[in-house]
Amino acid sequence: MHAIERVLNTLEGKPVDRVPTFCAMVEDRTFNEVLGKPLIPQELLMTNPVARFVLDRWGPSLSRPVFQAELNRALVKRIRAQVELGFDSVWAILDETFTVLDHTTMVRFNGSVFNIQPDGYGNMTYMYRCPGIRSREDFEAWPYWPDTDDLAHRTYTFFRKVVRDYGHRTCLFGQGPAYGIQESLLWAVGFEKMPIWIRRDKDLVKRYIDLNEEICLKTNMALLDAGVPVIIQTDDFAFKSGPLMNPKLIDELFGPPYRRIIKAVHDRGAKYVLHSCGDNTLLFDTFISWGVDGLHAYENTSNVDIFKEKKIHGDKVTIVGGVGVDYLLTDRSRDEEVVHEVRRLIQELGPGGRFILAPVHSLSSIPARKLEVMVDAVRRYGAYPLSSS
Amino acid sequence: MNESITAIQQAIDGLDLDGIRALVMKCLEEGMSPEAIIQEGISKGLEAVGRKFEEGEYFLADLIMAGEVVKEAMPLLKERMNPGGSGKGAVILATVAGDIHEIGKNIVGMILSANGFEIIDLGVDVPAQKIMATAQATGARFIALSALLTTMVEGIREVVDSSKAAGIREQVKIVIGGACTSEDLCQEMGADAYGETAIDALKIFNSYSAAR
Repeated sequence: MHAIERVLNTLEGKPVDRVPTFCAMVEDRTFNEVLGKPLIPQELLMTNPVARFVLDRWGPSLSRPVFQAELNRALVKRIRAQVELGFDSVWAILDETFTVLDHTTMVRFNGSVFNIQPDGYGNMTYMYRCPGIRSREDFEAWPYWPDTDDLAHRTYTFFRKVVRDYGHRTCLFGQGPAYGIQESLLWAVGFEKMPIWIRRDKDLVKRYIDLNEEICLKTNMALLDAGVPVIIQTDDFAFKSGPLMNPKLIDELFGPPYRRIIKAVHDRGAKYVLHSCGDNTLLFDTFISWGVDGLHAYENTSNVDIFKEKKIHGDKVTIVGGVGVDYLLTDRSRDEEVVHEVRRLIQELGPGGRFILAPVHSLSSIPARKLEVMVDAVRRYGAYPLSSS
Repeated sequence: MNESITAIQQAIDGLDLDGIRALVMKCLEEGMSPEAIIQEGISKGLEAVGRKFEEGEYFLADLIMAGEVVKEAMPLLKERMNPGGSGKGAVILATVAGDIHEIGKNIVGMILSANGFEIIDLGVDVPAQKIMATAQATGARFIALSALLTTMVEGIREVVDSSKAAGIREQVKIVIGGACTSEDLCQEMGADAYGETAIDALKIFNSYSAAR
């Protein structure tokens, strides 16, 4: 069975020949190990005084032609490396959401500020710094909102090439330049202030959600037009111990846009997978009611019980994830431990299908070798019918 | 119980951000002391919020909202209080070196502050040396460390080791929390306690404060 058929059948709950795999990793360090390091390390952009001067002085105007172009090359490299590693499905992201302000600062178009920083392995990464919208005035004056039609066009152009080059080899889980609607709001106004915004500035929250829904819808449609078979959306609704907000409120605020988006994806014959970190136990029914086909990540470091979820929702939604990145896929573990855990996950979650084995998250500390061990173990032990031993 | 103080409890329990100031003013006008309002009204209201959080009726966002309700009330009370506050002690808050996540830390700070602890928030990506220097300069003996990234947990051990090097390990209590932390990690790093939630952190520091 071809990887694409294996993954799509699993998302539909149909029989497959073995448990499929999803990469869920998007870190340059890992993929440099697969494809070789670039001649010019990305980190030089931050450490080289000339590059720093240029970025500090002309960052915004160089953002699109230089920085975004470099990032897009890295994004394609990430997809290629995931394919080389032999995954059945890979996470293909286009992150055209940023404007570089200086050599340490980027703003995301929907209201948040990020640090540009080294990943510890010679590459650049970015990490959330603070909200960009702190008041009604900030919201009205925010200068970085994209032209959504232009964004959709760029998304289509990027993914058309990705589908042409890799779409026949692996099942592409495509994520356009649209982050989750809820987490974008959280980043834009800050989590400590988000409950107050929701209470006191309902009109602005509604407008913010509407703007992001439009971005999601248009870019998702561009992905589908380009031929991507599965949309994946990150939106972290939970923390380690449970949902950020009352599940009823989450459904009230974010259910309508997500239902519309997922329906539009389904109408075009594609699948929809939602990535949400943390313990989403109280939210799984809500997500399923929105129409998702698969859910990623079931973080092992949170309180979620993936095995219990298999019993409760295993026939309604495809579980994607299971393999921890806190220890198992790091340099600290032994190969035998990875194989043992893969076998355990297959034994527990494989019966009945609707399980795609994957790392629960993406971290720079994950070496490519551990991913190879994981993929190899699934090939050896994941064939249906599953062995009982 | 006085109806006005019950109304304050209910306002906090009900997350009434817009009504709390008027209720506090009413209590003050009726002659209640700020300390009594905090003890009988605000603290008990927060206890009810904490219970609802533990029972799964309230969520993290509700804890934040409760903290905001208290923040609305506190300026009215503080300006009428004797210096020295409730004397529960000072807590140094920090996200460990290399990690810039602050949401969890800020929520803990908000809940502890609303419950009478003095908060010394050092921010994110804080080196162990700075935390120890602050403990020595201020005399604060409670330290709350947050870590979200698995790769940064060694920052916790560095704080523990720094406290030993500074000769104050026995005097300070180091409590950890955050997505990648656990009871096992707490023991591995040599910290004193692990709190999964902000309410856990409050209980831990309340117990330390009571035992002083």
